[in-house]
Amino acid sequence: MTTSTPRAWWKTGVGLVLTGLMLFPVYWMINVSFTRDQDMRASPPHLFPTNGTLDGYRAVLDQQLPYLGTSFLVGLGTVALTVALAAPAGYALAKLRPPGGPALSFVLLIAQMIPGIIMAMGFYAIYLTLGVLNTLPGLILADTTLAVPFAVLIFTAFMSGIPDELLQAAVVDGAGRLRTFWSVVLPVSRNSIVTVSLFAFLWSWSDFIFASTLAGGGDYQPITLGIYHYIGNNNQQWNAIMATAVVASIPAAVLLILAQRYVSMGVTAGAVKD
Amino acid sequence: MTGLSRRRRLAAVAVIALAAVTGSACSSSADSGADGGAYLVWDPYPQFADDSEWVALLKKCGTSAGVTVERTGYDTTDLTNKALLAAQQGNSPDVLIVDNPVISTLAEAGALTTTDDNKLDVSAMEKNLLGAGQSGGKTYGVPIGANTLALYYNKDLLTAAGVDPAAVKDWTALTAALTKVKAKGKKGITFSAIGTEEGSFQFLPWFWGSGAQLTSLDSPQAVSALTLWTDWLKQGHAPNSVINNTQTTSWQEFATGDYAFAENGTWQLANAEKLGFSYGTIAIPASAGGPAPAPTGGEFVSIPVQKKTGRYETSQKLVTCLTNADNLLTTDTTLSYVAPVAAVQERQATADPKLKVWVEAVRAAKGRTGDDLGTKYPKISEALWTAVQSALSGGKSPQEALAAAQTAATTR
Amino acid sequence: MPSTTETSTDVRDQGGAATAVPPGAPPSRARRPSRWWAWGFLAPVTIYLAAFYAYPLYRHVELSLREYTVRSFVQGGAPFAGLDNYRTVLTDPAFGPTLTHTVVFTAASLAFQFTIGMALALFFHQHFPLSRTLRALILVPWLLPLIVSASTWSWLLNSDSGLVNAALGVVGIDAVNWLTSPGWSLTSVIIANVWIGIPFNLVVLYSGLQAIPTEMYEASALDGATGWQRFWGITFPLLRPVSLITLLLGLIYTLKVFDIIWIMTKGGPTSSSATLATWSYRLGFGNLLPEFGPGAAIGNLLIVLALIAGLLYIRIERRQQLR
Repeated sequence: MTTSTPRAWWKTGVGLVLTGLMLFPVYWMINVSFTRDQDMRASPPHLFPTNGTLDGYRAVLDQQLPYLGTSFLVGLGTVALTVALAAPAGYALAKLRPPGGPALSFVLLIAQMIPGIIMAMGFYAIYLTLGVLNTLPGLILADTTLAVPFAVLIFTAFMSGIPDELLQAAVVDGAGRLRTFWSVVLPVSRNSIVTVSLFAFLWSWSDFIFASTLAGGGDYQPITLGIYHYIGNNNQQWNAIMATAVVASIPAAVLLILAQRYVSMGVTAGAVKD
Repeated sequence: MTGLSRRRRLAAVAVIALAAVTGSACSSSADSGADGGAYLVWDPYPQFADDSEWVALLKKCGTSAGVTVERTGYDTTDLTNKALLAAQQGNSPDVLIVDNPVISTLAEAGALTTTDDNKLDVSAMEKNLLGAGQSGGKTYGVPIGANTLALYYNKDLLTAAGVDPAAVKDWTALTAALTKVKAKGKKGITFSAIGTEEGSFQFLPWFWGSGAQLTSLDSPQAVSALTLWTDWLKQGHAPNSVINNTQTTSWQEFATGDYAFAENGTWQLANAEKLGFSYGTIAIPASAGGPAPAPTGGEFVSIPVQKKTGRYETSQKLVTCLTNADNLLTTDTTLSYVAPVAAVQERQATADPKLKVWVEAVRAAKGRTGDDLGTKYPKISEALWTAVQSALSGGKSPQEALAAAQTAATTR
Repeated sequence: MPSTTETSTDVRDQGGAATAVPPGAPPSRARRPSRWWAWGFLAPVTIYLAAFYAYPLYRHVELSLREYTVRSFVQGGAPFAGLDNYRTVLTDPAFGPTLTHTVVFTAASLAFQFTIGMALALFFHQHFPLSRTLRALILVPWLLPLIVSASTWSWLLNSDSGLVNAALGVVGIDAVNWLTSPGWSLTSVIIANVWIGIPFNLVVLYSGLQAIPTEMYEASALDGATGWQRFWGITFPLLRPVSLITLLLGLIYTLKVFDIIWIMTKGGPTSSSATLATWSYRLGFGNLLPEFGPGAAIGNLLIVLALIAGLLYIRIERRQQLR
């Protein structure tokens, strides 16, 4: 499997080109993050930040690092809560098919259509009463609403592909429903758990509206709010804005790559066991 | 059979849960969040971090009023929504600093106290600046600093093209200057005509400079102003990108050194010093000559309505402290604004002679929500920027675009 | 764990019985009793939905049924207006064009996102050196706050200093006013939205591909099927449930998109790139004087559109199960 034939390397070449094309705007963002104000709208634009500046990064490293930590915590919390809520629901909808299940799927669809700003207003009202504005758990809970309906639907779609025989075998073995779910369904669903976690993380990482409405005044502000340090009332510091985005995406990108490695190894191992 | 009764029971549980949630949410205005010693201040200056002079000033004013100040900086467009939402939920900050046209909206919403309630003394403020905070004979806030628009020019470029900036006194002279610059292979002028309030803000000096009034968007004068801009685009004096330019983008274009003129604001003064060429400023000319009235920009300090009215006394002390002469000087220097008080303006001009042009510009400037337009202004402004966009992008002639704008602004 | 092997089976059985099977319930489920108990698995999500979505949804509907001004938004007491807001929106001359833009934007975005995402998923599903790393990297656009990615696109597409026009100039093509001409603005925001949507489609379809057992391919390889035949014969049918949900979710997210458009063009120039979502946002939150009623009415119309799509989905899915 792991032998690298010349053909495979040719594919790597194509893969690099495709990735390069997809990431070109990201390159442009990096380019702008190094650009001096007077070169930002140069015509024709500079492909490389010649006469670059580190002003943007200087500002970011001075001010933004604490925000990164919050973003990580919020992201991880969102992932955990999303999976915990959505995986059992997906299992029930896909395999147990309770009466009223389709109606619930439908509600989940509608739930996603409520505009984010209206959701945020609702949360603001609820949180104000509960006194959890500007807290970490509050923001995590709100951010899960970005992912939970999606997660349930994805789990349902994927778990309906689990062979019934596998589950019946578990029941014959004497496992209860909860046990079946825990030790049969969840392990085979590793793939969809990863997909869901990935999106839950990404959505909470890039969320702005909840962060601004629910955590704007507190000590726990994610990196998206940090960017607003450079968007003044009349003026925006674009190199610093872009630099923040770069600094924010590097650790998250590394995390993604590592997670992918770990997970695909796990998936292959699981496949071998089957 | 048992299935049915269970179903019913479940439905009942669901209804109760729902009612509990909505019920609790509706009665959520129970208690104001701001209690105890901390006084909340919201401002639209997210660029100022906790170690900035602005925040230091807020803390200092808090200390002298005997309270601690908790400050949050929001993005300016975000702040309007946030302020409305907080007012709805009875969770407004004690002191709110917002962009001046927002004052009339918040006042209309009943979210702000008047000077009658909060006992603020606004007598020192310049009348033309204070106008934006007044409606129906009441005053809802104090300006903390003002800015306005003028034309920045690239000295080197104009010299090379043989244009004397001092002679650019009317539209004809300006267009002639642009033609000369273009003949030298350089670009003429850049501004911001984006489809937001920013676009209207930038168009207003030309609109008012033609003699037009906001109550009649389709007057021949208004058409002449929009024709001026449209012709600039057609003849290549202004780049097509202005249709989507924010004022920052337009400044970045000017900073490349390719443009002779840029319409921009007082707040760019600090950045102007960093330009790679020597620059100057002139007032935006009116159609028939002389400086055109530019709109006033800048923020207002206001005291939102609180359930605990006893808090106003301290809030008033905070605002008075923020707007006293020395502190205005500090704040407006960091913001690169002109002070709203004549005496402080003098001090600014003496300290930095370059500010003299701007002080004069601010004195001649006009509030957007003034002329007793108040909350009629947002509607007019939207119609106006839409007209500018449709004429510049070639969808309609200036005449048609402004006629449609007038209809849109007056209906409903 | 120091538990001995002799007792471990016992422990497992007890645990299973204690947690899942209620005491006294018959161990065999051959009779297929009512499945209401499965709601035990759904309870957390149901409570969650009721707690956090019911109020915003109610509020959204309520906003659209009353005549809100800024004043009554803050102070309460907005008069009930019935369907007036809907009437206002539906009879607005802007409604027709905006609906068309929404349909074009959604259809074009979905078609390109899905096709490109599928092609990339198939490509990266083959194992070659670096395939995992590259696939992970393609997700990077999702790490960026929308304000950054959308601004980068407007940077690239700027009429005068944008890279795209500079590149076109090199090839000898005239500059295009991507964001500033009514004819191109919708295309530009579609391009940016497709770019942002590709990673989503790629990831979901890719995990769908991974769920297909490799034996199926091996069998067909023995039969001598070509790659194309394999795709239509095995991959596509087996990927159908995942494809359907991807398209449905994609549809919902695309209908909802407003921030990309708002940042890039504000829906302009002259509403040429305005969709129902940007219109709703402009009315409710993008103005100095918000009009919450009509804004919420448009939002609810969007929900109805999503509902129709959801009904279609459930129908297709049912038909598939019956097969």
